[in-house]
Amino acid sequence: MTTRHRPGLAEALEYCRPVPPVKSNILKTLLAVQSALGHVPTSAIPQIAQVLGVTDAQVAGVLSYYSDLRTQSPGRHLIRVCMGESCTANHGGRVLRAIQDHVRVAVGGRTLEGRFTVEKMSCAGNCAVSPTVMIDEDLCGRVTPSEVPSLLEPYT
Amino acid sequence: MKTTRCYLANDTSSRAAGAGRLADAWSDRPEIQLIRTSSRGAFFLEPMVERDTPNGREAWFNVAPNDLPRIVGGVGGTPVAEIPFLQQQTRFTFANFGITEPLALDEYQTRGGLKGLAAAQSLSPEGIVEALRISRLRGRGGAAFPVWKKWQVAQQTGSEQKYVVANADEGDAGTYCDRMIMEGDPFRLIEGMMICARAIGATHGYLYCRYEYPAAARAMKFSIQKAREADLLDCDDYPFDLEVVTGAGSYVCGEETALLESLEGRRGVVLAKPPYPAESGLYGNPTIVSNVLTFATIPNILANGGAWHASIGTEGSRGTMALQIGGRVKQPGLVEVPFGLTLHDVLDRFGGGMAPGSRFKAVQVGGPLGSLFPESQLDIPICYDAFAEAGAILGHGGIVVYDDETNMVELARHFMAFTADESCGKCTPCRIGSVRGREILERIQAGEGTAESLDLLKDLGETMKATSLCALGGRAPYPVLTAIEHFPEEFKKGLTH
Ligand SMILES: Cc1cc2nc3c(=O)[nH]c(=O)nc-3n(C[C@H](O)[C@H](O)[C@H](O)COP(=O)(O)O)c2cc1C
Ligand code: SF4
Ligand code: FES
Repeated sequence: MTTRHRPGLAEALEYCRPVPPVKSNILKTLLAVQSALGHVPTSAIPQIAQVLGVTDAQVAGVLSYYSDLRTQSPGRHLIRVCMGESCTANHGGRVLRAIQDHVRVAVGGRTLEGRFTVEKMSCAGNCAVSPTVMIDEDLCGRVTPSEVPSLLEPYT
Repeated sequence: MKTTRCYLANDTSSRAAGAGRLADAWSDRPEIQLIRTSSRGAFFLEPMVERDTPNGREAWFNVAPNDLPRIVGGVGGTPVAEIPFLQQQTRFTFANFGITEPLALDEYQTRGGLKGLAAAQSLSPEGIVEALRISRLRGRGGAAFPVWKKWQVAQQTGSEQKYVVANADEGDAGTYCDRMIMEGDPFRLIEGMMICARAIGATHGYLYCRYEYPAAARAMKFSIQKAREADLLDCDDYPFDLEVVTGAGSYVCGEETALLESLEGRRGVVLAKPPYPAESGLYGNPTIVSNVLTFATIPNILANGGAWHASIGTEGSRGTMALQIGGRVKQPGLVEVPFGLTLHDVLDRFGGGMAPGSRFKAVQVGGPLGSLFPESQLDIPICYDAFAEAGAILGHGGIVVYDDETNMVELARHFMAFTADESCGKCTPCRIGSVRGREILERIQAGEGTAESLDLLKDLGETMKATSLCALGGRAPYPVLTAIEHFPEEFKKGLTH
């Protein structure tokens, strides 16, 4: 819930510069950029490609392939609602609706004041304590629609 | 004041059930000292607090902060040995769960850890593979391929560089045993990977962990560092190092060739086999990709001998299976039992019946590509052969129970949409077929299906089964077709004529 120091793009890329014999790794680099900036802006593609010695198209191809890589900056807090089978069987869909109603945003969207982004996720491995909602790195289990407001309250 | 030593699980699901809040609430209470262990896997009882007694541990279930006086006073606890959910299990791979502190290497060793590695050190590489051949262990990631055969190929393929890769993508919704192992007994996984490295002659290993498991990745990084500092990774001058790599939310990256593509940083697209990774895998070198649970099963096999392992289970399925019960049951959790119990027994003895107020409709075994079973088909034994015969899969051991509020057309649509989203796009039947399948189901949902819709779905399903390159497209029709087979009325309601 605290704001961490986030290194900039150049700083993040410095760690990913391939030093032989270590080969360049596009996915690893994009994950590092995302952890530094919160997302991977498409405007950063040329710079990433240049550091890795690959083409822009290769970077763009990897970026678009993986659903956990995002090109839009998320809200201050990322709410991910599990849509895996165990959570669905335990009415995770109702929890998702309650969250959307409470923060007033569509799936994939960011709230107006930039507080939350709401996404669906696949299984969090918390199936025995489902339905599951992940807020940033905090995992909440056995979530009911009625507790949604109190659950989100601490995330300002 | 006397301090009572108590145990509370620190794994992701226990925390999600409230263990973290409990620990916070008690953090300044001098009467209690909390040891944070792994979870026993009886998640319906979490947060569960245990303490030592002269007759073993006692436990308090679903504990709230104001239960502290009862626990400190020793009032109302249940002996852990008498919890039916645990008592009826056979714990080998999960023997340490709920007992040890996951990141304590010394504790792992005190409880028999590293004996498998020691046994492997006294064997030749061929001897290790032979022990696995005798054990008849099959891979636990889904395909159930004999482990020794793969290892032998990698061992016999000449190469300067070889790799060991733990598949920790655990993509099947409803499964969590790999997560439990990484968070709860990480040194067992490391030990299994090291035994593999010795057998095939690998000097480097990777653990490919799904993005959704940040706590597991942290636990593994910490344990690897600890093992490195204890000079455990390079033992007997045999160099070996391990690295944790994170995926980025792609189901198909659990497929071994796609996983290796992803590990090299590319799009996780499935490649045609042969060549198999054991011959030509990561950067073109012989690579063993095995599931986390598979690796974690191996230390006991080396320590106790292949014959010990082969003496457990059924003809084609030796050893124990980690079943993970989820969905609308009263008692969701991890169950390690020898192969051979029926699905009905498992649900009855361990699942404990349905969650309050709900009635059974169907159960899905083996993740999103697994078949659905109605109540009349629950007498199937849990073993690879019986499932193969029924056209079903055990997969990674996920068991999800659906109640009578489940809409089967919507569920079938969910599975087709899942395949359409996750298809790597390499082959047409999967890439296009899944979209067509989803569209047909959406028409049925809207009440606009025609008499041909179901035939079309079945034809499409057969084509996908027969012509897809990997099991995503090849198995995707199964949950859909079994839903139609067992609940035809629901689908027919959406047909106009
Ligand atoms: C679509 C698809 C997804 C898969 N996902 C996983 C997974 O998440 N974890 C896993 O261990 N194996 C997964 N597999 C199986 C792997 O391809 C491979 O067979 C397995 O990792 C081998 O390990 P094992 O021999 O220990 O089972 C998947 C296969 C397919 C076709
Ligand atoms: S079946 Fe689907 S996921 Fe598998 S290779 Fe073909 S397109 Fe890719
Ligand atoms: S299905 Fe939601 S956590 Fe596994």
